[in-house]
Amino acid sequence: MAAKIQVTNLKKNYGSNEVLKGLDLSVAEKEVVCMIGPSGSGKSTFLRCLNKLEDLTSGSIVVDGHDISDAKTDLNVIRQNIGMVFQHFNLFPHVTVLENIILAPVELKKETREEAVEEAKRLLAQVGLSDKADAAPNSLSGGQKQRVAIARALAMKPDIMLFDEPTSALDPEMVGDVLDVMKQLAKDGMTMVVVTHEMGFAKEVADRVVFMADGYILESSTPDEIFSHPKNDRTKDFLNKVLNA
Amino acid sequence: MKKWQSMIITFMFACGVGLFLHSSQVSAAEKTYTIGTDVTYAPFEYQAEDGKSYVGIDMDIMRAVAKEEGFKVDIKALGFNAAVQALEANQIDGVMAGMTVSPERQVKFDFSESYYDAGVAMAVGTNSTIKSLDDLKGKKVAIKVGTSSAEFVNSIKKQYNITTTTFDDSSNMYDDVMTGNSVAAFDDKPVLAYGIKNGIKMKIVGETYEKGEYGFAVKKGTNKELLTKFNSGLKKLKANGEYKKIVDKYTGTNAKSANSNSKSSRTILGLLKTNSGTLFDGFKQTMLLTIVAIVFATVLGIILGMMGVAPNKWLNGLSSTLIYIFRGLPLIVLAFFIYIGIPNLTGTKIPAFVAGIITLTLNEGAYTAAFVKGGIKAVDNGQMEAARSLGLPYGKAMMKVIMPQGIKIMIPSFINQFIITLKDTSILSVIGILELTQTGKIIIARNLEGFKMWLIIAVIYLVIITLLTWLSNLVERKIK
Ligand SMILES: Nc1ncnc2c1ncn2[C@@H]1O[C@H](COP(=O)(O)OP(=O)(O)OP(=O)(O)O)[C@@H](O)[C@H]1O
Ligand SMILES: [Mg+2]
Repeated sequence: MAAKIQVTNLKKNYGSNEVLKGLDLSVAEKEVVCMIGPSGSGKSTFLRCLNKLEDLTSGSIVVDGHDISDAKTDLNVIRQNIGMVFQHFNLFPHVTVLENIILAPVELKKETREEAVEEAKRLLAQVGLSDKADAAPNSLSGGQKQRVAIARALAMKPDIMLFDEPTSALDPEMVGDVLDVMKQLAKDGMTMVVVTHEMGFAKEVADRVVFMADGYILESSTPDEIFSHPKNDRTKDFLNKVLNA
Repeated sequence: MKKWQSMIITFMFACGVGLFLHSSQVSAAEKTYTIGTDVTYAPFEYQAEDGKSYVGIDMDIMRAVAKEEGFKVDIKALGFNAAVQALEANQIDGVMAGMTVSPERQVKFDFSESYYDAGVAMAVGTNSTIKSLDDLKGKKVAIKVGTSSAEFVNSIKKQYNITTTTFDDSSNMYDDVMTGNSVAAFDDKPVLAYGIKNGIKMKIVGETYEKGEYGFAVKKGTNKELLTKFNSGLKKLKANGEYKKIVDKYTGTNAKSANSNSKSSRTILGLLKTNSGTLFDGFKQTMLLTIVAIVFATVLGIILGMMGVAPNKWLNGLSSTLIYIFRGLPLIVLAFFIYIGIPNLTGTKIPAFVAGIITLTLNEGAYTAAFVKGGIKAVDNGQMEAARSLGLPYGKAMMKVIMPQGIKIMIPSFINQFIITLKDTSILSVIGILELTQTGKIIIARNLEGFKMWLIIAVIYLVIITLLTWLSNLVERKIK
């Protein structure tokens, strides 16, 4: 079966600074891939290339058979199919929680307003925030904000979800709620690429764990392999630090 | 966004053309000539007590000629210098403003037969000891820009080692002498004599220099018909005694005065009462200019501001360049450039009001664009990324996510800009728009109540600004 996401020799420079130095990665349908690695290794940059929030310097990324590095590809259509969740939530502060969720489907005429509202309520129930529909985003806790952000991304009915450290800006007691929502998504068969420092989550949920350092993918295998028998010294070093911290 | 932008541009264009056609159609249908004149040059031209019409020797002759020859005149009190420039730029058809015929002027204008003999005279304060040009050595002298008196003073400046201060109208020039800043003023003799008779505390000394003749002027090579009509009309007036009647009316022993108001109407309340109609017209014009300019400038500013942050280098460059130019140009230069410069090049008239609106729109629009750009940039980057990641195109993300947040940041700047726009309308008095400031100038030129009138005008501006601020704050609270 063709890969859902196929990355080939991806390079990304910021000016003369090469941040991604030739990455290859293939993500199958319904696969959950967790990306780990030290700060500054290029994880966020890689993730942002997948829906082309960053321009690629060279290489190719094919999503669902569409080459997103091709200038002729309509990115707006591709992006509707790839949900993204950010470390700092990025909720729209000027509208209510409900409006955050229905804004894109209604603006893009994917659904009528009524349909969108109904779907939004279903999603809010799914993330456990049914009572927050009319709340202002800024009145929510971090964990609640992130769950709204997930609901907002899901409202476009994507079949790929990208997460960039979704829990690292949260108080520890909020992390569980967000991870629970993500686990359920994985169970329901969502294709997911998750940049995370939550090793427990990676162990439990990931089909594959990818270790990045210095702009390279140094190791990529099952959670069991990586956490129990890391091959690369950098991987060992990194895991030692985070697991024994 | 494209559709939205082009709609607004079309709208602005239609408004401009509409105003333009409106004014030019009127003149075509009724054979009305637009005649420029000075704000105040009594006894030749000054605003009548009623505050509505212009009277004086020039004005009465002009109207009598028009009546004889069967055409209509639309008098525009632009100020002498602006009138001459407007004529050069073909913005008006003729100038009747006690203009002395001189070889330099004949290069650019065609003159009628002389209708009045005049010459330059010197006036000094009533207690002054100055008696002749020789006494002016090393002293300061007040002159009025563009006049033949000014030319005369400039020609003897070196010889007598005089420094000059230049004014736009006679009353300011006289004030400068009466307050002692300058020791003497030069003006056409009948004008000085008339002013002194009407209460200017000065006296004429020395002789009559540069004897000259007044003529009615049209732009060289144009409006031959108007000039012919004027000459033939003038001849008839001289023949039937009407001409002498007019001149006597203003310079004879029983001549009427431009400011014969009684004592009671010299109090602030009295001045307000006698001039309420004129002031209200000026107020209305100021409000109209302000509101129309705010609307256009806001639209232009938002478009330019959005161009400035768009992901397109050409649009960014264009936006920055336009902001640079129109923010950099002094408003007064821009006003003259549009009202006088462009018509001078293209030969098509731009009505003063339209020129004023274009000036304000470009200048205030550039300032608005700068803070719109800043406001958009102040919105967190993550907002645009989140919106784009959902598949919203750039324009939709801008309109639905970024702008609503940016606008909130911009509101205080908008309010500030509205107030600046209101104040800047006063600069448009230089192209003769009869807004509040120009109205004030004209009234003062007639009644010489500088302090009280400017106080009244200042208070009116403050009242409008207070109302505007109050209204803006109300809107701000509604939005928040
Ligand atoms: N917009 C940018 N301009 C220039 N350099 C950038 C930009 N974004 C990221 N970088 C650089 O690229 C490198 C990789 O950054 P990236 O954010 O992808 O790392 P990361 O693995 O996500 O790190 P972290 O775990 O801290 O989030 C860093 O050296 C960073 O300084
Ligand atoms: Mg990162």
